Amino acid sequence: MAAVSMNGSARAPASDIALEVRGLSHVYEAGDRAVPALQDIDMSVRAGRFIVIVGPSGCGKTSLLMMMAGLRAHSAGTLLCQGRPIPTPDPTRVGVVFQEASLFPWLTTLDNIEFPLSLRGVPAEERRRRAEAMLSLVGLKGFGARYPHELSGGMKQRVSIARGLVQDPPVLLMDEPFAALDEQTRMTMGHELLRIWSTTSKTVVFITHSLTEAVYLADEVYVMSPRPGRIIDHIEITLPRPRTYEMMATDVFGRLRERIWQQIRHAQ
Amino acid sequence: MTAPSPILVRRAILVGLIALWEILPRLQVVPELFLPALSKVLVVLASDWQVFGGALLVTLYEVGLAIVIACGLGITVGALVGGVASLRSLLLPVFSSLYAIPIVILYPLFTAWLGIGPQSKIVFAGLYGFFPVMLSTAAGVRVIDPQFLLAARSMGATLTQQVTRVIIPASLPTVFAGLRLGGALAIIGVVVAEMLTASAGIGYLVTLNRTILDSPRVYAAILAILLLSILYDVASRALERRVVVWQSTGRQSAPAARPVSTATPQATAA
Repeated sequence: MAAVSMNGSARAPASDIALEVRGLSHVYEAGDRAVPALQDIDMSVRAGRFIVIVGPSGCGKTSLLMMMAGLRAHSAGTLLCQGRPIPTPDPTRVGVVFQEASLFPWLTTLDNIEFPLSLRGVPAEERRRRAEAMLSLVGLKGFGARYPHELSGGMKQRVSIARGLVQDPPVLLMDEPFAALDEQTRMTMGHELLRIWSTTSKTVVFITHSLTEAVYLADEVYVMSPRPGRIIDHIEITLPRPRTYEMMATDVFGRLRERIWQQIRHAQ
Repeated sequence: MTAPSPILVRRAILVGLIALWEILPRLQVVPELFLPALSKVLVVLASDWQVFGGALLVTLYEVGLAIVIACGLGITVGALVGGVASLRSLLLPVFSSLYAIPIVILYPLFTAWLGIGPQSKIVFAGLYGFFPVMLSTAAGVRVIDPQFLLAARSMGATLTQQVTRVIIPASLPTVFAGLRLGGALAIIGVVVAEMLTASAGIGYLVTLNRTILDSPRVYAAILAILLLSILYDVASRALERRVVVWQSTGRQSAPAARPVSTATPQATAA
């Protein structure tokens, strides 16, 4: 946890904190045993930052994200989004993008993006206008009438991002959104995501298995230990923005990637 | 040098069979009692159209109500059994076993309870069609991807919205498969019931004319039933295509969609 000091900049005012996690722990019941899943998680995410969480499978990083989304309860500690707890999902505060394209196959691209708006009874005209705007933002203008099965994997995840952003939430949570994509598409999508992020100035919390992806995307990387999941390192990614593919070949990139890898390796 | 298209072959086989139906009896290869020529059957059907039409209406009425029972009850029970875990473990094995029983052996009981009029046919055929509708609805509700529900919850869907906006549309394809089978079984149920014990309906005409060895009229009645089944199948397929657009287009145009999307410049990155 000493690495928190690497967050060199002066402590931000409270209003600037998008997500605050303090002493969060979670224990779940498996039969008659109590299994500790998350232990003493502390995170302070400033607004507009791109945060990546890495860690081995089963370390509870997805659980943590689900708690941030209000989809799952935690046993102890505090979890605040802009100073307020998140007891239930609220897509106007937190948008979520899942790993598998969780688009509804019976809805067209536009209807999928409009879905969260229609749940809240937003008038059809406004829904369409906002969905169209999101579609352009993610670079899929003209694909609104397509059904998900007519889109490629990368395009589906673009639609998922558009759906997550359509209510304009300050925070976007992404659970391994590109894990199912091939390497090439994955790189392109990472680049695209950074473009979208820089134009919308959202706070992003992004989970991945890929260390390269982590370093390439992040302002800060949190490294988690195997179960029970703890934060074992917090690394400021000092690479300048905008990020380019060429940076991946630099020493700085390699050293950052190596440091994360060593942390994960020694935690096993 | 290309092989003829399957559609062409299918049509050729159909035309061939119809031609044989006409030619074989005329050449007296098969006795008229076994198979009267198609033209004779059609003549009988045309001249007695009031008899056959009237009987068909009776059957249609019974089939219609039986389908309403089968679908209404089947979807309701199926949704409960598929959606509620405790009901599922309690009832699904029972229903699956019941489905294997030849329910037609119960028909004499139905006539004893409800008489030989339409009621016994409607209830029997409704029960006959109920099982596939119920079982496929249960399956359709049960196999919904939990990811869909998680996504809906993350977007703030209430429990009611999860049912109406996710569970129902997601289970529609499976439910429809059951509806088609259930409807077909309801038709079979009504016709079989009419053949066994009845005083009206197209199945009754088959039995009546068979006992007096009037083959052309037996075949005319069979032809009418055939027509009814085909019409039902065509109608239910058309309805399915309209309601489950995303599935049917998925089957037919998935490969065709590709060149279109790659041709659009904005798709290049994805």
